Amino acid sequence: MKPFILASLLLTSFFFCDAQTDNLPALDKSPMDMSYFPNNYPVLKIQDKATEPVLARVIYSRPQKNGRVIFGDLVEYGKVWRMGANEATEIEFYKNVKIDGKKITKGRYTLYAIPAQDNWTIILNKDIDTWGAFKYDAQKDVIRTTVPIEKLNEAVEALSMTFEKTDYGCSLVVAWDNVKARLPISIK
Amino acid sequence: MGTAAKTILPAILLFSCASKNETNSPDRSSQKQDTTIVATTPNPYAVVDLSPMDMSYFPVDYSKRKMAHDISTPPVMRVIYSRPHRQGRVIFGSLLKYGERWRLGANEATEIELFQNVSIENKKINTGRYIIYCIPYENKWTMILNDDIYTWGLQIDSTKDLMKFDIPIKKTSVNFEYFTMVFQPITNGAELVMAWDDTEARLPINF
Repeated sequence: MKPFILASLLLTSFFFCDAQTDNLPALDKSPMDMSYFPNNYPVLKIQDKATEPVLARVIYSRPQKNGRVIFGDLVEYGKVWRMGANEATEIEFYKNVKIDGKKITKGRYTLYAIPAQDNWTIILNKDIDTWGAFKYDAQKDVIRTTVPIEKLNEAVEALSMTFEKTDYGCSLVVAWDNVKARLPISIK
Repeated sequence: MGTAAKTILPAILLFSCASKNETNSPDRSSQKQDTTIVATTPNPYAVVDLSPMDMSYFPVDYSKRKMAHDISTPPVMRVIYSRPHRQGRVIFGSLLKYGERWRLGANEATEIELFQNVSIENKKINTGRYIIYCIPYENKWTMILNDDIYTWGLQIDSTKDLMKFDIPIKKTSVNFEYFTMVFQPITNGAELVMAWDDTEARLPINF
């Protein structure tokens, strides 16, 4: 019993230290993050090293693996997944781009994915400023494109998104647990 | 109920609250355990930041309300900022020097986006995206709107400053561990509430 009480005390003290009062929000357990293309654009910009204009950015929240099996278990195959946590994941293009041959007008979109065992279907949707995928509306889809996935040897703890430069533009790289997917984005 | 039970109960409640957040519940209770994990294994793609980013909308909880079909008008504004920790330090007048520019966050410069025209102190501010930063003083903050978007907070180009507003501050009875930005409704608009350590400031925005 005693260790349990001690542990509880410790937990409650954590609770009182970190809970913020006055209805102001505490720190989120799936913290938000933002990635630009070109990568680290804001840092390049202040160093005068940005050689091309900002093309895209993604704003997403980062759930943790926490020892769980993610794909096919926590995130079920065949179901729309919010590809993040909390607020819906947002991708913004600062100029018109092409995805899977289709013109995507510059602006903000919500990103979803439908993971399957061997591929992901990635969705861009017009219903922005919303929460998660709980009220996902397929009628507001702009594009659905299926991309192959890659299995990773080492699990990625926190959902990660970054961009990689390619010959035709860039790819949005999404990695979590032992899966990596790439969404090619063409600027030509 | 014994003392032990009284101690354990909040812990259990805390656990149940945390596990609820873990699943698909959109509930983002302000009274949850801080469990942000700083990755122990290398992440080749993007490390989790020590000062994580956060986002606040007005109307408050806009995205949740939109999901619940509780709101059909567009949002008025949102702020995207990173949240440094106090970590036992004295923030104002020490870590942040009075009279020096402060990025009002961490990492990327703090961004405020207006989805409609608003006004501050009767000055009209057009729809759009701006950087917002601050010069803290002992008795006031100077808030600055700037046009140098998509930049890093340590080097904001002050030649792109658009407007400055002095606002009063107040000392709080509690210390805020994490820098916090949130909107709260007022008559004819909303206030951008900013709190960290023992200091709180409010920027009234009218629309």
